[in-house]
Amino acid sequence: MIITKKKDFKELMGNIRNYRSFFLIGCSECASLCGTGNEEAIRDMTEALKAEGKEVTGGFVPKTGCQVLGTKKELKAFKDELGRTDCILVMSCGAGTQTAVELFEDKAVYPANDSLFLGNMTRFQMFDERCSLCGQCILDKTGGICPVTTCPKGLLNGPCGGMQDGHCEVSPDIPCAWVRIYERMKKLDKLQELCETVVEAKDWSQGQKPRALSTREKKEKTRS
Amino acid sequence: MSFREALESEKFVVTAEVGPPKGTDIDEMIHHIELLKGKVDAVNFTDNQSAVMRMNSLAGCKIALEHGVEPILQMTCRDRNRIGLQSDLLGAYALGVKNVLCMTGDHVSAGDHKGAKSVYDLESVQLLRVVDALNNGKDMSGNDLKGSTDFFQGAVVTPEANPLEPQLIKFEKKVKAGARFFQTQAIYDIEKFREFMNHARKFPVKILAGLVVLKSAGMAKFLNNFVPGIVVPEELIEELKAAGKEKALDTGLDICARHIKQLKEEGICDGVHIMAIGMEDRVPEILERAGLL
Repeated sequence: MIITKKKDFKELMGNIRNYRSFFLIGCSECASLCGTGNEEAIRDMTEALKAEGKEVTGGFVPKTGCQVLGTKKELKAFKDELGRTDCILVMSCGAGTQTAVELFEDKAVYPANDSLFLGNMTRFQMFDERCSLCGQCILDKTGGICPVTTCPKGLLNGPCGGMQDGHCEVSPDIPCAWVRIYERMKKLDKLQELCETVVEAKDWSQGQKPRALSTREKKEKTRS
Repeated sequence: MSFREALESEKFVVTAEVGPPKGTDIDEMIHHIELLKGKVDAVNFTDNQSAVMRMNSLAGCKIALEHGVEPILQMTCRDRNRIGLQSDLLGAYALGVKNVLCMTGDHVSAGDHKGAKSVYDLESVQLLRVVDALNNGKDMSGNDLKGSTDFFQGAVVTPEANPLEPQLIKFEKKVKAGARFFQTQAIYDIEKFREFMNHARKFPVKILAGLVVLKSAGMAKFLNNFVPGIVVPEELIEELKAAGKEKALDTGLDICARHIKQLKEEGICDGVHIMAIGMEDRVPEILERAGLL
């Protein structure tokens, strides 16, 4: 999921100082799991804004804030509230914020959160980055552990000389990705494979921004 | 005799290390180059070592050539992408540099520009393959070069890494990727190094043992606690302590010379790489004590 963090409230207030009335949009997916865009977060934000003398016309948690048409449909029920709003505050990730930008061409849209990374929730309110969306998954070669993401240098062929007692030179809190990969491949009896595979330099053009994907054409063809 | 010829002739080879200056004043670097001239087979020029920004390695190499000393260009993957790395390699070769040491490079978080963006477009194994390609007249994308390189390429290995096995796997990959020689991370336990060499001897590569001069018991403890892959045995720390503060450095020089002597006499490895770190002017003395001058 996309991990988000609430922006510093003072910073946020500075950003939206010129607006008076707000409509809040959360998200029931990642931002809810992160506690940044669920019903409770919307309630808290409403109170905080009111305490600052702002008006809150309403708030809503769409099912999937990055799904443009679905969110548009859900927001139809709030036509009046939105009409009385001069700023939309989006409490999900950057993608959710840009859904609102697409839906409300003539209204100010501001992010309430910082989008951090793609990660896993390891425990309640604890998140680890696990995937860099590099566009060329090599988990098949590394025992399912991603060195592109979990090694600060993104090394593809083994640990660097900075590894100490299984930890990273960048911080003792980071376990060495390559020691983890080694241990897992050993358990799976695949060390031979690990020795023999030299992972080629990545083709970063696969991650050239902005990326887009459409699988529509293919499906239509299959149907016909 | 060139560094490469020396290694291939089975001579016990000695290399030392010089860090280019932080700034444009090259007097001290030239002084160190002159001191090492005729006493070592080649001198490594570090590449923004510890991610601390300095003059580049290539300038150091060129200045060494002008002073009649054979350089080894250290090249890390931290600061340049594949275009920059290949371009600098071609330039280095055109300027007369024949040896290159391919490394991943310390992370920027260790250095003095912590907000810098790390590159690591390639890493050491892949960089070795790139050097091999350039030697064969091709760039990394398979395009023909107008004039190829003929680099003698090396890599680094940490014989005392813990755990060791992942490091040995990478060592093997580096050999397969074309590394012809290795300069190791500093070693202090000759018996443990002998075990590593028993493994390394299975591969057709030359190994130079890395040596860092111990200046005091405090420095030895610092290396043990804070520098990955370096283990100074307790008996050496005791030896430095027993020497007292005034004689600690002298004892450190003795330990280094003693290790060189043992490595050579017992034919444990193919040479040594002395990383003096601020004591470049004492390297000739170490070599004298080791009976190499």
